[in-house]
Amino acid sequence: MKGIRTRHKWEPYVWLLPSILLIAIFVIFPILMVFRLSFSEISKSGVVGDFIGFQNYIDAVNLPAFKTVMLNTFWWVISVVGISTLLGFIIAMALNQKFHGRKIARSILVLPWATSLVIQASVWNYIIKYEYGNLNNVLLNTGVIDQAVNFRSSFRIEFLWECTVGIFVTIPFVTFCVLAGLQSIDNELYEAAIVDGAGFWQKLRMITIPLVKPALTVSTVLNIIYVFNSFPIIYTMTKGAPANQTDTMITYLYMLSFYDRKKGPATALSVIGFLILCLCAGLYMRFVMRGEEEA
Amino acid sequence: MTETARQNRIAMILVLLATVLFLAVCTMPLYYFNVTVHTQKSPNTFVGDEKYTETRAEVEQIAEGFRAEGMEAEIREEVTERTNSKGETTSLVTFTVEQTLAKNLWSFPGSSLSSAHIFRLLLVLVIIGGFAAMLGTRKSFGAAVRDLPKRDRRLRSITPYAAFVAAILVVVFVLANNVVFSRTLSLYQGGHLTEGKEEYYAALARFLMGSSAAENAESLLQHLSFEKSNMIWLLVPACVILLIAGLMLRYGQIKNTLLKMLLILFVVGVCLITLYPYYVMLITAFRSNQETTDMYFLHLLPTEWKWENLTDIVRKGVPRYLLNSVMVAGGATLIAMLCGIPAAYAMARMDFKGKKAFLGFVIMSQMFSPVVLLIGIAQLMSTLHLNDSVWGLMLINAAFNQAFAIWLLRGTFVAISPEMEQAALIDGCGTVGALTKVLLPVSAPGIVTALIFVFINSWNEYTISTVLISTASNRPITVGITQFSSFNMIEWQYLFAASLLATVPVVILFMAIEKHLTAGLTSGGVKG
Repeated sequence: MKGIRTRHKWEPYVWLLPSILLIAIFVIFPILMVFRLSFSEISKSGVVGDFIGFQNYIDAVNLPAFKTVMLNTFWWVISVVGISTLLGFIIAMALNQKFHGRKIARSILVLPWATSLVIQASVWNYIIKYEYGNLNNVLLNTGVIDQAVNFRSSFRIEFLWECTVGIFVTIPFVTFCVLAGLQSIDNELYEAAIVDGAGFWQKLRMITIPLVKPALTVSTVLNIIYVFNSFPIIYTMTKGAPANQTDTMITYLYMLSFYDRKKGPATALSVIGFLILCLCAGLYMRFVMRGEEEA
Repeated sequence: MTETARQNRIAMILVLLATVLFLAVCTMPLYYFNVTVHTQKSPNTFVGDEKYTETRAEVEQIAEGFRAEGMEAEIREEVTERTNSKGETTSLVTFTVEQTLAKNLWSFPGSSLSSAHIFRLLLVLVIIGGFAAMLGTRKSFGAAVRDLPKRDRRLRSITPYAAFVAAILVVVFVLANNVVFSRTLSLYQGGHLTEGKEEYYAALARFLMGSSAAENAESLLQHLSFEKSNMIWLLVPACVILLIAGLMLRYGQIKNTLLKMLLILFVVGVCLITLYPYYVMLITAFRSNQETTDMYFLHLLPTEWKWENLTDIVRKGVPRYLLNSVMVAGGATLIAMLCGIPAAYAMARMDFKGKKAFLGFVIMSQMFSPVVLLIGIAQLMSTLHLNDSVWGLMLINAAFNQAFAIWLLRGTFVAISPEMEQAALIDGCGTVGALTKVLLPVSAPGIVTALIFVFINSWNEYTISTVLISTASNRPITVGITQFSSFNMIEWQYLFAASLLATVPVVILFMAIEKHLTAGLTSGGVKG
């Protein structure tokens, strides 16, 4: 028998109760709250008024920055998740080889994962400063460039920098998920493949990728969620300026509700974001549940 | 002649080629300097008058003196027109004697410039590499690689590694030369840098003109200009040729080991990029405010380590923020564990209706970072009178980390066989006893992993705290550090000193659990 028998049928539920309560109050309740607010009139001071149907949603879609913000969010998620998955995979492949100092390399590469995003973003903010930033300083000192480069000459470039920092902090998660997957692959598979005369690409395509696919899927889906929800990088580096041109949905709804006092449209945006996440969550659940059944 | 001998012969030719190339580059003139060796002014003159001719003759004589010593000397004259007190226009003629000095790499080993150290090391490595190849093949020229005597095998191993490091050092050396000749010089000449000026000029003058020039170095080098030749990059192929030769001698083939070296190069590069922001954080945390915004900063480390920055941030309330963070993260971890362990236990060991639904419920809650629900959470917290308090943050962090905690713990529990608990139950121990006395002690590593993971997540949380906390004394450290970066004035040194304090403990904790964590996140749960 796998597991233990309980005396009463209701006992397992008692074990689950604290956890259910915690999640219900602090996760589920706010969700319901946001839903209710999004259909209510909310005054600037936050007083909740009558039911007004979809007015908040119409207001949200008609906000001048709405389209820019949605596009930014799209590019933000796609570029950060896509590039960090690719780079993380390559780095994991490298770390899976045997060489001296591999343990040290692992400890170093995990650093960005353990560091608070607001701190990472602050440091990069300093590094790419035009007047005295460390990157310009180093490049000038070593004679790679003759003249200081303005790394933040336009908001588009600033947004690219934000994506770069996003990629930088996301890579470790992918690397270590894939690495865990790689290390569970039986070495005999590769040996057999070598006997059969398989080359590097064939081994990659026929063995490595199919076998790390579960780990890769988990990390990709979780990353989509994290990156979508990411707030500190953009908030620290540009605060969405100028005029919400570098905002993603999350920073935009923060600005809307806590600076511009437009709580109504902000809650509507929250719900839209929530539904997008639900879609991702659904995909993830389908994958995880399938994994459960196979096991 | 055997295959091995033929290959060894090619390798030895390559060693020779590398040496010749290296020596050739060393003797090429690579750095050109324009030095003013003599200046003489002739005021109140007109071009072509008696005084002018006299001075010109004097200068000419000095230049001749230089030429007699075998040096190049060029006379240049500059005329500035002036009106004197009587209203007459006269000229000031300035004569300068200029030399173009071409320096090759042999000038480096004996000099006291900072880049010379790198070149000396480079030279030593190449010499060792070359000699190791010679000595390692002297007695066993035609022998197959696997039959090599131990001594020769070791000797031959030296060459590729020495050449590999040397190739990297070439790049470092070229960059260091740019720092020494171009950047440092222009900063001193422009007056942006004053500290250590005399020593720098003396060292440079000694390098350029021998020891006699060091005395009035500053006046000599005031108008020094510098040009470089790109031929110096030929040192890289020289080292690579030596590397390939070494690999052929030691392994009989080059592909695998070369690939491995490229791999190491790649990993080292990635590590350096990863460490870069931490390095910037570290050095900025200990610099003076003036140095943090100095665009002419020329050192790898702060010129003077400002430990006061740490005491300053202590005065500015950072210990309070750290304490708040410890409370929030510690409390959140405790709550998450107290709720999560029983749930994970039930999930791992018991059969009940709705197990799948609960799993779905948990995973769903993991999908939503609190950010998208900010407004709802803020509303909820003000209803519970928990906004602006560390208790509220504790509960929120515990709730949003519940999913991961259950996920990791369940994976740990499932991996442990239930037999011992079953035995304990038969002995009359209740389910609570089976959990606390039997299962928990054996699953300690997994529990610690989950514990630390929740702790770090709560410690690094920023967004909810900015929204909920308005009183300064309730801020956790992540929010606390932002007080040093206001809109018009950023005190970088304080910002990064506080960041350093916030980063170091969690980074150490994280490194401790990294291995268990990733295995738990990806497979532990899924395998079930």
